Amino acid sequence: MIGELKIAIQALKMSCLSRLQYRADTILATFAVFFREATGIIVIYLTLLKFDSIHGWNVYEMLFLFSLLFLTYSIIVILYADLRDFSCMIREGRFDLLLLRPRGLLVQLISNNADVIAALGHGTLGILLFVLSAGKVGITWNFSTIIYYLGAVISGVLIQGGIFIIFSAFSFYFVETGSLREIFYWNMRKFAGYPISIFNKWIQSLMIYVVPFAFVNYFPAQFLLRKPDMAEYPTLYIYIAPFVGFFVYLIAYGFWRFSVKRYESTGN
Amino acid sequence: MRAYIEFAKKKFQNQIAYPMEVFMGILNTVLTVVIFCSIYRALYGEKSQVDGITFSMVATNFLISLGLSEVFSFDEMFLQNKYRDGTISNELLKPVNFKFRMLAENIGSSGFKLLFHFMPAVLFTCCYTSICKPKSPESLLLMAVSVMLGYLVLWLLSFIVQTWCFWIFSTWGIMVMKNVVVNILSGTMLPLWFMPDSLRKIVAYTPFQAIYFVPVQIYLGQVEGIVLAKSLLSQLLWIGILYFIGELFWRQGIRRVVVQGG
Repeated sequence: MIGELKIAIQALKMSCLSRLQYRADTILATFAVFFREATGIIVIYLTLLKFDSIHGWNVYEMLFLFSLLFLTYSIIVILYADLRDFSCMIREGRFDLLLLRPRGLLVQLISNNADVIAALGHGTLGILLFVLSAGKVGITWNFSTIIYYLGAVISGVLIQGGIFIIFSAFSFYFVETGSLREIFYWNMRKFAGYPISIFNKWIQSLMIYVVPFAFVNYFPAQFLLRKPDMAEYPTLYIYIAPFVGFFVYLIAYGFWRFSVKRYESTGN
Repeated sequence: MRAYIEFAKKKFQNQIAYPMEVFMGILNTVLTVVIFCSIYRALYGEKSQVDGITFSMVATNFLISLGLSEVFSFDEMFLQNKYRDGTISNELLKPVNFKFRMLAENIGSSGFKLLFHFMPAVLFTCCYTSICKPKSPESLLLMAVSVMLGYLVLWLLSFIVQTWCFWIFSTWGIMVMKNVVVNILSGTMLPLWFMPDSLRKIVAYTPFQAIYFVPVQIYLGQVEGIVLAKSLLSQLLWIGILYFIGELFWRQGIRRVVVQGG
């Protein structure tokens, strides 16, 4: 375990160093990611200048909801960058390389690469949104809320990490999984920052039970904010939110172990 | 001209080979429009209109602008990739104008997406939510003209940024920034009716509303007569200005091309 951790830290260092070779480009790219992700936030801000609130959520509460999404993602791209681009890895035959090394596959995938630019871009935005909103949404920050919040962030990372693992495992069955990810992760993530109660029942169920983004930010935020639209969902959900991540991750891990046996190289 | 039409046709046909992509493209467009409509349904609440804009008008705006933005998307790293791997030298030797060839290929794939992504998405969305009818048959026709002009405005904006690859290491970052500005100011994610007045005034002096918003206004019949003519003229004017700027960068940039070996 210690050995793996050392490898991971070494790999992270290498990711950072390789980016620093092109310093100006890295800085520019980080800004670009920051602004690309901020697009949605700017739009919400401008929209709420006109409409004041959406389904009872004011602009600060919306920013708080979004901040969880960005914070968790910035951690995810440090850990799961390889699993995010997994189908590409298989196609290029780079996955075969890992099979030859004397370490677990998932461990290698998680520790190997880090998307430093995305981590910085999303992380900065997440922290900025949190700082802007945390004091203005009426949360009393005490021991229990802080613990809950940290738990929610970890769970959020595990949920999305688990989703990446499941999608990656699909690559062992289908050649091309890009469009699947596109719809069920990237597209949904764009809207996961909105309170799910504004969507129709289908999309809500999708976001609670299938790709559980609701547990990444909506339910944790509800625990802290208690908006009236929570009445539409079982109260239990806000208490289990910090644990859903472990559950999703376990399923993902099981599915990965089951699927990886089917792997046949694409050859080169 | 024949050659360019062939380029466009080839790209058009290329896309037929991926039926899954078509299906996903439709799903993607429908999902995006439906989600934006849900957001505005929640924002409208019980109100039937805001500033004289009804919910159906908002839905129509999203269907046209978000749907078309999917149609209008193309490979914006094309020039940079050609330049980086040196294949640009072969391209420049061919007896066709490289710029127009790029445009022709992009139009080919956009034409495909217009027919097989956008049109089905329009049908689905019409079943899901109420979409305004065009003001009159003529406004539909004029809108089609305006959409083509809007495409050129967007394409030229992208082309200008693409030519910067001759000077900087990677245009990716600047391209992303350009798209942020386009997405916010062209009215795809925030209908321009609801933009704060001060910002709206600035946008009026930029090419961004000439991309999607002018076609939307023409379709809804919000501009008629002289104003409509002016809108179309403003699109043409922007095409002229942007073409000139793009040409300037292209001519300067292409001189810098040095390809080693082959």
